[in-house]
Amino acid sequence: MSDTVTLAMGAGGRQTAQLIDEVFATRFNSPLLTADDAAVLEPPRGKMAMSTDGFIVSPSFFPGGNIGKLSICGTVNDLACMGARPLYLTCGFVIEEGYPLEQLREIADAMAATAAASGVNLVAGDTKVAGKGQVDGVFITTTGVGELVPGAAPAGAKAKPGDAIIVTGDVGRHGCTILLARDDFGIEADVTSDCAPLWDSVEAMLGVTKDIHVIRDATRGGVGTVLYEIASQSGVGVRLDATAIPVDPAVGGVCRMLGLEPLYLACEGRLVVIAPQEVAPALVEALRACPNSQGAAIIGEVTDERPGWVVMKTEIGSETLLPQPTGELLPRIC
Amino acid sequence: MCVGLSAKVVRIQDGMAMVDASGAKKEISVQLLNDVEPGDYVMVHAGIAIAKITDEDEHETDEVMEALLA
Amino acid sequence: MSDTARKSAAQILATYEGPSLRVMEVCGTHTHENFRLGIRKLLPPQVQLISGPGCPVCVTPTGYIDEAIWLAEHGVTITTFGDLVRVPGTDKNLAAARAEGARVQVVYSPIDALEYAKAHPDEQVCFLSVGFETTVPASCLAVDQAHEQGVDNFSLLVANKTMPHAYAALKDSADVFLYPGHVHAITGTKLCEDLVAQGVSGVVAGFTAKELLTAMAAALVKAREGKPFFVNAYPRVVKPEGTPAAVALIEKVMEPCDAEWRGLGVIAQSGLQLREAYVAHDARKKFDMPHIEGHPNPGCRCGDVLRGQITPASCPLFGKVCTPLHPVGACMVSGEGACSAFYQYGGDEL
Repeated sequence: MSDTVTLAMGAGGRQTAQLIDEVFATRFNSPLLTADDAAVLEPPRGKMAMSTDGFIVSPSFFPGGNIGKLSICGTVNDLACMGARPLYLTCGFVIEEGYPLEQLREIADAMAATAAASGVNLVAGDTKVAGKGQVDGVFITTTGVGELVPGAAPAGAKAKPGDAIIVTGDVGRHGCTILLARDDFGIEADVTSDCAPLWDSVEAMLGVTKDIHVIRDATRGGVGTVLYEIASQSGVGVRLDATAIPVDPAVGGVCRMLGLEPLYLACEGRLVVIAPQEVAPALVEALRACPNSQGAAIIGEVTDERPGWVVMKTEIGSETLLPQPTGELLPRIC
Repeated sequence: MCVGLSAKVVRIQDGMAMVDASGAKKEISVQLLNDVEPGDYVMVHAGIAIAKITDEDEHETDEVMEALLA
Repeated sequence: MSDTARKSAAQILATYEGPSLRVMEVCGTHTHENFRLGIRKLLPPQVQLISGPGCPVCVTPTGYIDEAIWLAEHGVTITTFGDLVRVPGTDKNLAAARAEGARVQVVYSPIDALEYAKAHPDEQVCFLSVGFETTVPASCLAVDQAHEQGVDNFSLLVANKTMPHAYAALKDSADVFLYPGHVHAITGTKLCEDLVAQGVSGVVAGFTAKELLTAMAAALVKAREGKPFFVNAYPRVVKPEGTPAAVALIEKVMEPCDAEWRGLGVIAQSGLQLREAYVAHDARKKFDMPHIEGHPNPGCRCGDVLRGQITPASCPLFGKVCTPLHPVGACMVSGEGACSAFYQYGGDEL
């Protein structure tokens, strides 16, 4: 086999089979992984959740992970946010002609390891090769099916005044990592992506109580965007305590340098959890016992004031609004 | 009009300095300042150091307030 | 600030019983930080904070964006501070030009733009040089280095401005000016002291919560005394003599010219342009750019906002057709623009 992906490897013939066998099948060695046209599976008990997500990230390798790990975490976490134990995952690849096979193997390794860590089975896959320049490296789409934990029904519209707001770790690390990895600004910092599968964290919380109102993973747009969405969906106000929001010092330094708000940088391994105030301390304790949510903290509360808005209690004890997200994050000097 | 960043000088070579703001490092120009040494704090704007400073604002604001209320 | 000092600053704000006072945040970063920290909420009702013209993005005229787009559409790689990417030109902004295929690269510093030019010798690279005295030295440093090192694919599109003439033009707009700390870190404080003789009061302010509280407290204490004053409330950064090497560098590379300020019109000698020795790096001359006249949206009242004559909410476009997601005027684009800050932080309600 050549060292790079060729158009022939996507043509469906012998070379395609070789690529799949050598790169993917050996790594995704689940007994459920199909060699036929579709995987045949046991259905979940009770209700199931299903989610799909496409992944494009430049660069596709970054400190703390790569696009493969990301593609598993993303869909596993989407299922987990519904209170669903992830069971099955499919993955579709679009690979640019000339992409190094060695990197593809590394991506597949990361996918296999992350799937194993999340207890999910990779059951089917698809590989397409696009001509040089038609895609940027490799794009991955994953689709997942999960089994709902009976009694759990978190949803964005369920936040209630008086609820506590928890974040499962320091915010904005993935977005900051990618920004640094692109090296557009010549800034160096020891920051690694927070990219992580979070089913065990959710499972631990559901062990404390099923009465969790909202669970959301703060991916694109970060924690700030998620809070604005929840405030709008639930018709409530959100009050954050600026001093309680965990931010890695180096992420804070990068943000100060570029005039960015850490609450709007993407996370790939952080949940926003909204639950009744009285269970919040026990949830935080349960989260802190899980490897990917050791930095969990209560950062604010849901209110009935200013529905649809996120209010910040500032470092000097005054109040202000968290500016709403405006799309593309642009560094500012003024 | 001018977002400033207070940062610590880590090393200097040929008018360029590596500065550190809580772990975020960036090479900037210190050509416009005299006597900057590693360990000093500078105010950085748009890639150049515009002033040598003290790192914290506590002492400063205390003095301003004292003078004001004297 | 020690607890006592902070308390006394906050107490001064809370217990002020003096005359009503219009305090102008000349610097957009002050507007931004005063909102972000919630300092407005701590002020007594008779003290009004108004946002001034000290946001380079906001005072940059529409035609300048059109010029940048003209360059981009003629194959020039535009390097720019992120602030300018979404500012509307007559027909479109740089983000739209980029979507149509123009090369627009956001940089942290003009020096990084120069490095980009060196690394891409086959591209013509132009840096959009906006900003006041704080930012000008970085542009001057970059273009001076390009000149010395013969980096002939690097140029500047200059729309830099200086504050002294703007202060004079604005002097009746406010009772006290919060002077921009980082401008005076470069230029020193002599100008502020001279302005006292002309009856203009002001405080040089820093940017942390403590510094802003202290500066506001200073403004209120001094205002009660009833005569013109100047206080440097940011002495750890701002020295009376400023940064002489920076002033000398500006003098070496640039010379004063008349400049158009969005909303304020042309203010004589308030702008900067490259000196003749640097003509090879002056994008307007280098690329034979035609005269481009910009046409801002006629309904936009950024000008009145910048002069402190109306609050953003009084503009008919504010919050309706003009929002941070779809800005019509420059004051809605920049994070520190008065309209954006009012919109994002809930205006005077908070």
